[in-house]
Amino acid sequence: MDQVVGPKYGSRGGAGKAYNQSFAREVYRNVDSGEEIKMCMQCGVCAASCPLKEKMDFSPRKIFTLIRAGQREKVLSSQAIMLCTSCYSCKVRCPRKVPVVDVMHGLAHYALRQGYKPRAETALFGQKFWGNIYRLGRIDEKDVALRYFLGHGLGQGIKLMMENKNMGIGMLWYKRMKILPERPIKNVKSLRKMLDKAKAMGKGGAV
Amino acid sequence: MDKKLGVYICTGCGIGESLDIDALKKVASKEFKAPVCKTHSWLCGTEGVEMIKADVAGDGVNTLSIVACSPRVKYDVFDFGPVLMDRVNIREQVAWVLPAGDEDTQMMAEDNMRMGLVKLNKSTPPEPYQAENLSKTVLVVGGGFAGMNAAVGAAQAGYPVLLVEKEANLGGFMNKMNKRIRPPYKELKPVDLEDQIKKVEAEPNIKIFTSAQIEKIAGGPGVFDVTISQNGSSTTERVGSVIQATGWKPYDANKLEHLGYGKFPNVITNVQMEEMAKNGKITRPSDGKEAKNVLFIQCAGSRDENHLAYCSSVCCLVSLKQATYVKEQDPEAAVYILYKDIRTPHQSEDFYRKVQKDGGIFIRGELNAISEDGNKNLSVEASDALLNETIQLEELDLVVLAVGMVPTSIDETALNLDYRQGPGLPVNKYGFPDSNFICFPYETQRTGIYTAGCVRSPMETAICAEDATGAALKTIQCIESTAIGSSTFPRSGDMTYPEFMMSRCTQCKRCTEECPFGAINEDEKANPLPNLTRCRRCGTCMGACPERIISFKNYSVDMIGSMIKGIEVPDADDEKPRVIALICENDAYPALDMAGINRIPIDPFYRFISVRCLGSVNLVWIADALAKGIDGVILLGCRKGDDYQCHFIKGSELANTRMEKISETLGRLALEPERVRVEEISINDYDRLPVILNDFMARIKELEPNPYKGF
Amino acid sequence: MGDKKSILIVGGGMSGLTSAIEAAEVGFDVVIVEKNPYLGGRVAQLYQYFPKLCPPNCGLEINFKRTKSSPRISFYTLAEVEQISGEEGNYQVTIKTKPRFINDQCTGCNKCAEVCPVERSNDFNYGLDKTKAAYLPYAMAFPMQYVIDGSVCHGKACAKCVEVCNYQAIDLEMQPETITLNVGAIVWAAGWNPYDAVKLENYGFGQYANVITNVMMERLCADNGPTQGKILRPSDQKEVEKVAFIQCAGSRDENHLAYCSGICCLASLKQSTYVREKNPNAQAFIYFIDIRAQGKLEDFFVKVKQDEKLSLVKSKIALITEDPATKNLILEGEDTQSGERIRETVDMVVLATGMEPATATVKVPAEVAYDDYGFIVSDQDQKGIYGAGCIKRPADVAGVVQDATGAALRAIQSVVRR
Repeated sequence: MDQVVGPKYGSRGGAGKAYNQSFAREVYRNVDSGEEIKMCMQCGVCAASCPLKEKMDFSPRKIFTLIRAGQREKVLSSQAIMLCTSCYSCKVRCPRKVPVVDVMHGLAHYALRQGYKPRAETALFGQKFWGNIYRLGRIDEKDVALRYFLGHGLGQGIKLMMENKNMGIGMLWYKRMKILPERPIKNVKSLRKMLDKAKAMGKGGAV
Repeated sequence: MDKKLGVYICTGCGIGESLDIDALKKVASKEFKAPVCKTHSWLCGTEGVEMIKADVAGDGVNTLSIVACSPRVKYDVFDFGPVLMDRVNIREQVAWVLPAGDEDTQMMAEDNMRMGLVKLNKSTPPEPYQAENLSKTVLVVGGGFAGMNAAVGAAQAGYPVLLVEKEANLGGFMNKMNKRIRPPYKELKPVDLEDQIKKVEAEPNIKIFTSAQIEKIAGGPGVFDVTISQNGSSTTERVGSVIQATGWKPYDANKLEHLGYGKFPNVITNVQMEEMAKNGKITRPSDGKEAKNVLFIQCAGSRDENHLAYCSSVCCLVSLKQATYVKEQDPEAAVYILYKDIRTPHQSEDFYRKVQKDGGIFIRGELNAISEDGNKNLSVEASDALLNETIQLEELDLVVLAVGMVPTSIDETALNLDYRQGPGLPVNKYGFPDSNFICFPYETQRTGIYTAGCVRSPMETAICAEDATGAALKTIQCIESTAIGSSTFPRSGDMTYPEFMMSRCTQCKRCTEECPFGAINEDEKANPLPNLTRCRRCGTCMGACPERIISFKNYSVDMIGSMIKGIEVPDADDEKPRVIALICENDAYPALDMAGINRIPIDPFYRFISVRCLGSVNLVWIADALAKGIDGVILLGCRKGDDYQCHFIKGSELANTRMEKISETLGRLALEPERVRVEEISINDYDRLPVILNDFMARIKELEPNPYKGF
Repeated sequence: MGDKKSILIVGGGMSGLTSAIEAAEVGFDVVIVEKNPYLGGRVAQLYQYFPKLCPPNCGLEINFKRTKSSPRISFYTLAEVEQISGEEGNYQVTIKTKPRFINDQCTGCNKCAEVCPVERSNDFNYGLDKTKAAYLPYAMAFPMQYVIDGSVCHGKACAKCVEVCNYQAIDLEMQPETITLNVGAIVWAAGWNPYDAVKLENYGFGQYANVITNVMMERLCADNGPTQGKILRPSDQKEVEKVAFIQCAGSRDENHLAYCSGICCLASLKQSTYVREKNPNAQAFIYFIDIRAQGKLEDFFVKVKQDEKLSLVKSKIALITEDPATKNLILEGEDTQSGERIRETVDMVVLATGMEPATATVKVPAEVAYDDYGFIVSDQDQKGIYGAGCIKRPADVAGVVQDATGAALRAIQSVVRR
């Protein structure tokens, strides 16, 4: 093998990670809005717009560049794609109008389909959240929280409840949460039908 | 001409309250024997102006001294046709900045007036220089895209054009171009070179010379004699002005071995890529197989201090265009672009988006190493700045180096100017013709010769077309100005020109060497041969001449010298030093005016003399001033050096060099070298100006009074 | 060329002035129509040009001098084109002028401003300070003629200025005028407007005092600006020590201006030199996507980035918030090269807002082609009315001069053809 070494940098000792486009193509084909990431110009506005930026292992921007680089394993096993809470800050601010939220969700679903698992925490929360929606057609915050906390086991659940006590009181105080249980929305059965159908199409379900 | 002097003093705008007007009048009537001397409390008002007009029409007054505000204002009101006129500024320079009723204020006003009246005494009305057998033809050197556009531009404005192209066909680089990228930057456009050429050929005003070269250009604007060689024979044609549109060359990729060029067959340049696309398929040179994996390396040699330090501006767009070729050939092909910054300014950002949409992969980073396997596939290791990792691009069919543009002006033989100062346009450190950048980018250092297109700076085709059109305007403008004997930029409309009293010339060559515009040739005995249509009337030659033989009708060594002599120098006992400030009329003078408008006090011991450019300052003025008892001289001019602001390019620099030699003169007079200072000042420095002046005055006051006072 | 029709130049900024002077010096009559009370346009408001860091007034002075010495140039200030009819070679143009309330007998003596009791927000300084209702737009203004802001002047009820003016220059009853001109060609050089930074909601312009725009920064640094060239932040007039520049504030953004405004990178690099020069201890940050320093402007970029107290960070800032106690600003973003989070607190933020063509809001009252963004399309087939300068694409001064010179020739061709 004949090699010329650049004068400024020099080879960093052996090959770097191989770039290839096969994963990018896989994403374009199989992930909802996947093709939109082509437009990303790596400005990073999404990264800092995300309320969960501190929890994410990779920012959306980094996810996109990893996809282009072909780093399939890193992307599909990343926690970042599972964490999106659909606040839409990134999507609204993206200067290239990449629907970051949709792509992140798309990636999460694709990862699940490919057998990747979210963190237990994330999965548990998603499961309880989904259950709530399915049952009520809306979110009853205290119900979701309660189920999520207790999902950790009784002792741990009580500990978590105590830790989050002040937030709960605050939410009650500011009327962000009701004391009484939420009632199901009108015609919740029709909603369930829609959700079932979506799930059958591979577009829904708890992450 | 028999001069009849009329002096008109305005007492409005606070002048009357500040000064003893009767005493001022006495200067005119007693010292200068002015037959007419009138005052008015509103000289620029209808009544005041009518009063002057009546004197001009009825009383035969033909030499006017308007003693009022700065000549920068009310220029339209004080316009009395073809008379000699001078404006003496006693408003911004005196009444607005010095204490009213003060003795020193009065002395300054009187000295200003004396200087103005001496100036009129020493001036005669200009007679424009009329060259003979003027041509209105425009010569365009280079028949590429810029040259063709320039030729059509001038032709359609009604001017005959000679278009000289060294190749057999017009079109230049466009002959190699596959497609064009141009507004609205949504998709690639055909080159349409045939249409362009047809348009040129159809233009009756354009005479085309192909396979032709410029052997020599002699003369000057209006009277350039151009020798064109074609097919072994030469013809000489007279033209009025010249456009150099000789274009660019790709940077020599053989110097880019570190990027694999010349070493691996499948590493090519963007120029080769363009030709390949034009010829059909994009393939691997090694085996002719279709290229499916292509990497573009941006800034190949550009933005690199070891090669071209500048950015070639268009390579990003070119690679985006060529990426599109690859994708059009096979939408599934992989296209990588390794870049430092993607530079798609203005609306061309749209095309960046298009290539992203087509699936181009952009990698911000730099190449570490490139290698080739047994099948001639290339592999590139790069540091990816956004992944923050070292990456490997494998099995590449083709690596395209986006090499930059080198101006053809580096090679001086395109124009073969018969100029004492060399055959080409003076160039900047990168070989692009130097110009009065930023505000006047067309103004080269050779009058009547303009540049267009990529020889001037790298530019995309759409901008090139506009640029060439602008250059065409400058050529016809130069032709028309020359025809009436007027100067071109920046002293547009100036009808004076330097006259050489050759009988006293000592062949010292200073004028021929120092002219910033190469206007003066030399004969074999080193006599200066001025080409007056090349002259920009800056007076640098006049400043250079030790024999004082170069003069303008209204600007001469004698004139300024006499003005200095006209200044009253108080005795040493009076403790009123006198310092002369020679100030550039373009920047320092307006700055002084601004100090006036802002009522910032100025030291009253200065006497300001405005000069065309510091380059026109003759050492004899300084010697004379000091010999007469003036305590110091300060020169205020524009910034020099790489980012020079002098509109005559070298004026302030030359003044500096000359002043370095003044110590000799000062030594002869046994005076301290600190008595002469040169300062750079810009037009906005009106608040710094008093500081500079006060600082110098403080230094002068520390010295003993000039012992030559009273001589 | 005496029998040839005049050329109308709309806009007296760098492009319009250039087109006008260049055409006039060929020998054609030109008429400039300028909406401000002075010529010079936006460059007059700049402190320095990049890359030479030289004052715009220097080149303007030369151009004004050429304007004064050319008998072929006439101009209207406070004027706008209302109507155009006709065709190449023969246009009827209706121009409407606003009253200046001060005629050309004004000598610039400043008495009117001295006695004027009313103040107005100084638009020349982007509202950063005030002038009297009778004012000179700026010290180097051309024409050197005062103007009265009719929207705040008390009129005849006050008339203090009328009393003190010795030159009968003030006419408080001056009326708008309509002028019709017959011209052979039109150059539209109405220039650009800074993109409205209020629309960039996440950056808090208009909400946080210390978030300013790049055009305001020029005034803040200018010796003849509201702070006499000291960079004092608006909230408390404190000298700034940490300044952040945010690139592509509205540009390269499909939610705002999708194109690149071309000059903002260089403008911010330039402004970072202001910060560093005026306060050697100050720190500057430039947050960018790509640095676009084309041609030999690259030299300037290379030179400026050597400054150790300037940090160039590849990041589009996502959010600016204000510390209500200090009025400092907190920037959040991602350093896309390291992947690290950015949380930087600075004294002042300068938004590098882009250029919007004047024709994005006010169109030419005639048939003219525009691109998606409202820029006039440079189409060789469109004859008689030509765009010049930033009305065609965002460009720096040298680029604008180049373009406007070309436009002048096209206009001449139109006049010659007929």
